[in-house]
Amino acid sequence: MRATPEHELVERCRQGDETAFRELVDQYKGLVFALIARSIANRARAEELAQDVFLKVHKGLPYFRGEAKLSTWLYRIVINVLSQERPELATASLDDRDDEDRPRVQPVADDRAFGDLVMKDRLEKAIEQLPVQYQVLINGHYLKGMRYEDLAEALNMPMGTVKTHLHRAKRRLRQLLETEYR
Amino acid sequence: MKKRCDQLEPLIEAIADGSAQLSVDDAAHVASCAICSRRIERARAIEGLLAMRDIAPPPAAFTHTVMARVVQERWKAERAIDLGFNLAIAAGILVIASAGAGLLWSLGMLSITIDVDAIVRALDTSGTGRLLSQVQTVAMSAVLLTMALGVWWWAEAATD
Repeated sequence: MRATPEHELVERCRQGDETAFRELVDQYKGLVFALIARSIANRARAEELAQDVFLKVHKGLPYFRGEAKLSTWLYRIVINVLSQERPELATASLDDRDDEDRPRVQPVADDRAFGDLVMKDRLEKAIEQLPVQYQVLINGHYLKGMRYEDLAEALNMPMGTVKTHLHRAKRRLRQLLETEYR
Repeated sequence: MKKRCDQLEPLIEAIADGSAQLSVDDAAHVASCAICSRRIERARAIEGLLAMRDIAPPPAAFTHTVMARVVQERWKAERAIDLGFNLAIAAGILVIASAGAGLLWSLGMLSITIDVDAIVRALDTSGTGRLLSQVQTVAMSAVLLTMALGVWWWAEAATD
């Protein structure tokens, strides 16, 4: 079955068509849930927050003018919801200088942990420690179909800055894994 | 040597994901430097893990739950509007009743039994002009209240 074109779906939702809104939820639930579930370890809470995103969409649809893509608007709402959930990470600096203040740990010889399941778990925990914008960047970038352009629009950043931030986010991840989660 | 490592450090992730290439000099340094080569190795490992992360599917009943919450939220909002409207109506009735009572009191007719003769006499003695202006105010309030109630009933009927 072909998906309804976005503008048509939005217009029908704006007119109060519940079937259209149901279709919209079906179309975007995978993306929204994946973005949130990758930042929030508690699955039940992640589900609740993903529902909150769609409730905000439902409330905001009458004011959505369609200047941005629906997915871009959704990313912004996801960022807001995650920021409210983790306020300490919402305002965390994205500046590289923070990394320089972090105590450096020289790599040790034992690197066997990398690549195994323990490492996967550590990675998830480290991602949870990142500022919300970095989390969304990492989570979004590695989801299929997410383009740099979408992320740039959602985060209101030039595309070059998105790439720079993505590298910084991964660098911070590496440093977190080297220090706190060793 | 340490300076070279620090220079390369911010580029490690770009090198690991292939968006930056090492110069010949840098490649030679990395090949002979345990710190840099381990950093790149770790960055590549992280890159691989990130690419392989599981995508959690939403629960099967997700859409149904969202729709139920939408209905619940709408019901809550309507209930708040209804409550506000009912309070406004109650306040309006109270104002009109008070105005009516005030009018009767000003005419000295506030008693349990209504003496029609007394009203007629009061009309004669207190002056119809004064009485009429107050009656007009009360009547206007009653008309407005009736209109508001009418609009409310019409809106309710339209929603249903």
